[in-house]
Amino acid sequence: MIRALRAVKWLLIAVAVVVALFPFYWMLRTALAPADDVFFDGISLVPTSIDFANFARAWDKAQLGDAIVTGVIMTGSILVLQLITCIPAAYVLAKVRIRGVGIALAIVIGCLLVPVQVTLIPTFIGINVAGLGDSLPGLILPSMTSAFGIFLLRQQMMSIPDSLMEAARTDGLGHVRTLTNVVIPMAGPGIAAFSVFSVFTHWNDYMWPLLIARSPDLATPPLALAIFQQGDIGFDYSALAAGAAIVTAPVVILFLVAQRRFVQGMSGAEIPG
Amino acid sequence: MTALGTENANSSVTPGESPADMEIAAPAAVPVESSTDALRADRASGTRRELGRSNLVPILFLVPAGIGILLFVLLPAVLSLVASFFTVPLAGGPWTWVGLANFERVLTDPAVLKAIGNTLVYSAITIVPSLAIGLALALLANSVGRGRPFVRTALFLPMTANLVAMAVVFRWLFAFQGGFVNQLLGVAGIGAVNWLGDTNTSLLTVALVGIWRSASFSMMIFFAGLATVPGTIHEATKAEGIRGFTKLTRITLPIMKPTVVFATVLAILSSVQVFDTVNVMTQGGPQGSTETVLTMSWKLGFSYFDLGAASALSFLLLVVLVGIGLLQRRILSGGHK
Repeated sequence: MIRALRAVKWLLIAVAVVVALFPFYWMLRTALAPADDVFFDGISLVPTSIDFANFARAWDKAQLGDAIVTGVIMTGSILVLQLITCIPAAYVLAKVRIRGVGIALAIVIGCLLVPVQVTLIPTFIGINVAGLGDSLPGLILPSMTSAFGIFLLRQQMMSIPDSLMEAARTDGLGHVRTLTNVVIPMAGPGIAAFSVFSVFTHWNDYMWPLLIARSPDLATPPLALAIFQQGDIGFDYSALAAGAAIVTAPVVILFLVAQRRFVQGMSGAEIPG
Repeated sequence: MTALGTENANSSVTPGESPADMEIAAPAAVPVESSTDALRADRASGTRRELGRSNLVPILFLVPAGIGILLFVLLPAVLSLVASFFTVPLAGGPWTWVGLANFERVLTDPAVLKAIGNTLVYSAITIVPSLAIGLALALLANSVGRGRPFVRTALFLPMTANLVAMAVVFRWLFAFQGGFVNQLLGVAGIGAVNWLGDTNTSLLTVALVGIWRSASFSMMIFFAGLATVPGTIHEATKAEGIRGFTKLTRITLPIMKPTVVFATVLAILSSVQVFDTVNVMTQGGPQGSTETVLTMSWKLGFSYFDLGAASALSFLLLVVLVGIGLLQRRILSGGHK
């Protein structure tokens, strides 16, 4: 009986792993096979031969090189801005008792619930009126801070013992040095987790670049891939799969490297019920 | 808007965050302080008031984030509400007051109603399955001994995937001709299905991608939450002979309530905001069968340049979400307060 249960458990895990990984596998399989290998009868799980020409075709035609440069600059700038804005705010919301902190926290949690389409159109008009449409700052600025980031970091900082803040104060540390010398080192896992989350979110973001980046040089990787798909290349599945693999690889690698810290840091993120 | 509560703001030690829980929640971050120390520090609230003498620095700390939230969340949200009562030219220029005409236009347009219906169906077939599958996978992955890092990594990967890239891959997997799924059905002797081209299956196919990804995301949250359940609980339930489904519903899930709330909120938000997959896989077609509230308000705003109507539709969605938030809070707190 217990053996049967264990077998069922492993079967379920095997099915889940296959379902989770199969699209990635199929993407690589399609990308690596010769282009005329795409349409075949029956099921062939391995390609007849390996061919990197698809990657070259995708890289050139979708202008992925330029897109990756734009993507890295945009994602990096957003990350730096978000860390600069979120960390001090999270510290105040977690550890400083001044009037209005409760209201500020309520506003942050409220912002978590505002769906993107509510802010999309006014932000778009505002960015255009400011003359930032179709520009790198226009891609970056609306994401200068993150309510989710403030909230996640605040939850992590809550778990720093008050006695430690007390000790910092006794040692004559002001808010700035308490933040840099005590709080930031201790909130490390949360900061790492949020950084990974931020990079995922903005590297993968499609909607805002689709609105703002009208000129092709400003296309981010997902946007370049989508334009590539909607162009006359639409049925060149080999090149599309290769492009998809190129766009996917950086975040997957980042995740594999940062996985342990990421999961650890996300564990503080629950909303107080 | 404060539906999820802010009690923690005013007291530093709340029931859900006793010192013991904190140590477990962030193992790497917290050196083990004795709980009496923490409590003593907490009682010495005089220190806080002294810290409060120099309020200038904390306020300056809040300013950068405050500017961002004001400019790119609060102000746009208010403008969106206001704009839903006006006609708004996309290129700028004077707004014209039209009262409730935008709401009337939105709620009588068959295409918009269809998009609302599609979003409800999409949410119904993605939210509950992805939460249930996510929880089941977290429990399964947690119970694995050997091979656990591999299982966990594999199940986390869909969460990291670029939705545009994955939509491209899924479009190819579900292609009418030459797609892997139809090839597989062919081997089983079942005729090819036009997954994305048939109005009966298109929404379901897009939803499958949504479940594939959100289940992985929910699993990650549940997995992190399970790690916060203290080991003593497992020992106690074992000693009492409580296990299996009873343990899950009576012990584990109630302890993980904040995690469940968090996962549910994120699942709802990601379902009602589905955009990338629809835009890449079907562009709302065929015949509007995969049009959602977000792709519809996008079209209203940026293809038909009817920003007032687009704002009205967004505002209606916000009202529904806040309603769900309040309802959820009432249901969840019902048994405990």
